[in-house]
Amino acid sequence: MKVTLFATCLVDMFQGDVGKAVVEVLERLGCDLDFPENQICCGQPAYNSGYVKESKNAMRKMITAFEHAEYVVSPSGSCAYMFKEYPEVFKGDPVWEPKAQALANKTYEFTEFIVDVLKVEDVGAHLEGTATYHTSCHMTRLLGVTEAPFKLLNQVKGLQYVELPGKDRCCGFGGTFSVKMGNISGAMVNEKVQNVEETEANILIGADAGCLINIGGRINRQSKPIKVMHIAEVLNCR
Amino acid sequence: MSMKTSDDHFNHRVSKELENTFMRGAVSSAQERFQTRRLKQADELGHWEEWRSHGEEIRKHVLANLDYYLYQLSENVSKRGGHVYFAQTAKEATDYIQSIAKKNKAAKIVKSKSMVTEEIDLNAALEELGCEVIETDLGEYILQVDDHEPPSHIVAPALHKNKEQIRDIFKEKQGYAKSEKPEEIALYVREKLRNEYLTADIGITGCNFAIAESGSITLVTNEGNADLVTALPKTQITVMGMERIVPTFEEMEVLVSLLTRSAVGQKLTSYITTLTGIKDEGDTDGPEEFHLVIVDNGHSNILGSEFQPILQCIRCAACVNACPVYRHVGGHSYGSIYSGPVGVVLSPLLGGYEDFKELPYASTLCGACTDACPVKIPLHQLIHRHRQVIVENEGKAPVSEKLLMKAFGLGASSPTLYKMATKMASPAMAPFTKNQKISNGPGPLKAWTEARDFPAPNKDNFRDWFKHRQKGGDE
Amino acid sequence: MMAGTIENRDVFLSKIANQLGRAPKTEMERPTWQYQPQDRVLKEATKDELVEVLVEQCKNIHTDIILTNTANLPVDLQKVIENYGGQSVITWKDERFMGFGLSSLMTEQWPQANIQLYEWDSEQPEENIRQAEKANIGITISEITLAESGTAVLFSSKDKGRSVSFLPENSIILIPKSTIVPRMTQAARLISEKVRTGEQIASCINFITGPSNSADIEMILIVGVHGPMKATYIVIEDQ
Repeated sequence: MKVTLFATCLVDMFQGDVGKAVVEVLERLGCDLDFPENQICCGQPAYNSGYVKESKNAMRKMITAFEHAEYVVSPSGSCAYMFKEYPEVFKGDPVWEPKAQALANKTYEFTEFIVDVLKVEDVGAHLEGTATYHTSCHMTRLLGVTEAPFKLLNQVKGLQYVELPGKDRCCGFGGTFSVKMGNISGAMVNEKVQNVEETEANILIGADAGCLINIGGRINRQSKPIKVMHIAEVLNCR
Repeated sequence: MSMKTSDDHFNHRVSKELENTFMRGAVSSAQERFQTRRLKQADELGHWEEWRSHGEEIRKHVLANLDYYLYQLSENVSKRGGHVYFAQTAKEATDYIQSIAKKNKAAKIVKSKSMVTEEIDLNAALEELGCEVIETDLGEYILQVDDHEPPSHIVAPALHKNKEQIRDIFKEKQGYAKSEKPEEIALYVREKLRNEYLTADIGITGCNFAIAESGSITLVTNEGNADLVTALPKTQITVMGMERIVPTFEEMEVLVSLLTRSAVGQKLTSYITTLTGIKDEGDTDGPEEFHLVIVDNGHSNILGSEFQPILQCIRCAACVNACPVYRHVGGHSYGSIYSGPVGVVLSPLLGGYEDFKELPYASTLCGACTDACPVKIPLHQLIHRHRQVIVENEGKAPVSEKLLMKAFGLGASSPTLYKMATKMASPAMAPFTKNQKISNGPGPLKAWTEARDFPAPNKDNFRDWFKHRQKGGDE
Repeated sequence: MMAGTIENRDVFLSKIANQLGRAPKTEMERPTWQYQPQDRVLKEATKDELVEVLVEQCKNIHTDIILTNTANLPVDLQKVIENYGGQSVITWKDERFMGFGLSSLMTEQWPQANIQLYEWDSEQPEENIRQAEKANIGITISEITLAESGTAVLFSSKDKGRSVSFLPENSIILIPKSTIVPRMTQAARLISEKVRTGEQIASCINFITGPSNSADIEMILIVGVHGPMKATYIVIEDQ
């Protein structure tokens, strides 16, 4: 199965290990991966802040970069969702709207792809530990991927799961919100980390780099003994 | 008061409120309670999504035919002896109500809770005439006695106050001598207000839902105060936001069912009352004179615009209870009589972008509000739309941000530029980096690093690893 | 009844129509809806099952409930009266009280027990309010009763003052079993039907669910704020 990787700019710049884990897991499941060099950023940082014009060039670049793809897979629910927004952004444009729709139709978030397309729930992962999971807002509420991560985590040998109190509550990242409204964001991530501590888990798992950099950053600042892992990294453990 | 409740700047308000640990604790536990109850009721009722869809179709239909239903309503109110005054502006509304008060030589007015009366600053206008205006909703009464402090939540206006503070307010202003126990305070207020109901000249209410087919207004309370406000004084004035209307009793009960569950997690509140015109012939309680004041105050400008869905709102505050930002900053941070997600959408529309341009950015667009809304208003999308308007039409975005975004636009469209930027990122951040972390970031990063660390950019990007790997290089 | 005035309507409605991009409408068909979820609720329940639902719901709304019949009603009602401290009672002027077999209780036993009874009198406006204000107990009769929410629906009239259910500290509502329906949906349809057939509906229709309450102070529930502090429903088997 030919799969085209949409790594996301955050993974590319700050979380290379997540990208590597995604590649290894998908290859192990029989996927033949390619990575279009022209991909940069889905445009969310500008788009979400209201800079639609400025984000459109970036979006057109992405549409073109992935035009050849059969399946586009991303380790970020919010970035995958951004691709789903493209048709609305280019609404009325006779050239770009159909292209955007084509891209939206073939884009999947990483866990969604494994469970719903590859039809796999047990990827043969093994990780000893007690883990809790933060459900990223864009992935669950906007993209609608709610079950897949849990189905996959359920099959990881040795992993104990404790539900995170307020697991659905936003961690305070929100892209530029985290710097524009840094103090509010800080209050939100602080509560999120308190919730994580309440579970007494030693691993925090998530499926979106933005959330994990945010929560992880707070955990580090407080020197808490909690390991922060992207679900791809968990699924890559043997 | 109108929309604006503070002259303080947004950032200052937020900093102040973030330090209010009581408020944050009160808001968090109120949110937990309201949310849990709402979800429990939704579950018990069953088919909640269908209820939401029905609520949405009713509200959409009414908005699309608003002129017709207001026409029908006014005809039917008039048939039952009530006077209808259509007020396009706040001033028209308050002028009219002042004239009724003057004509009736009103000295004392009792009032039940109404957001639209706050929009038009009604209490101030009546007090200008020398009338005594008494709020009868317990939360509103507490705030009124506390020198007219603004509400911090649509449904539970005094949420930010603890019982000790409430006791002190009554002690200082009215010589209350008992304890801070809520039952004792409530008993005190009950006794104090009893006499006010009985001696008031005019009763003023808001309107949860007007019913077009019969010319009725519906009032939803738990305290029973709206009923006393309308049963005892000789004159009743009901002030209604123009879109707060349904075609028939059937739609009223659907929306009430959604409202009471979404707002306070009850199947129905203790008192739901429909009032139609003046009292019937032979009645010895109920008003002899009834005025329905239908207020526009800029709401009609939202009709026909992309923000029209916000007019579907039934003022349940489910969005406020779901909002993770409101949770920490509380109602007063918004600087508007409407707080939380509904406040973020409405305030710039009714109060202008100048006073409220920060509000649409006080959101992570997490979508919890949209999920919670019983009539399916796409709140987070409307919040995002405001951001677009602010950037493109209003030109109110900060210059530095505009430049950054332009740079982003360039960098994100050009692989060459991007590669250059990312190659420079690691060495550029080197002075700030220690142990692969940035703890005290420059520029915009500073706001981030106040509370958390930021990862240092990888020396080699993921894409480089992938490329080399393909060429059979190292892993 | 003299019609009330309507002011500034045209310019107001024109603005709305304008914003909606069309001419103002003064005629419309009744809408048909795609969704009708309310029809499902308690659809199959029998009257007895509805009574069970009502009894269960009363536990959630701080309301006592007694199931009785006309034979036992006087005794059961008296128990509640005594529980509430007797003293003074205000009722509507309503011949159903006699129909329920309460004449002897109200006109003989109560005076003997020093329980003052006042009946709403449309000729005595001030006295009505005075009596309602000082009465310890108000007794009314439910016209439609909603099982799901535990709600009594009262319609005002010259003999059935609004204040009887609000001003006294304690409220007793007599509920003929035949009035019980699943939920507010049925009541709304009944009332809407009256409107459509041109019947003049009561100027005040109350949907009352238990005693008054508030959670405005620290979200702590206080029962008994402006309206009654205590409520009892007495369901009377009348079928």
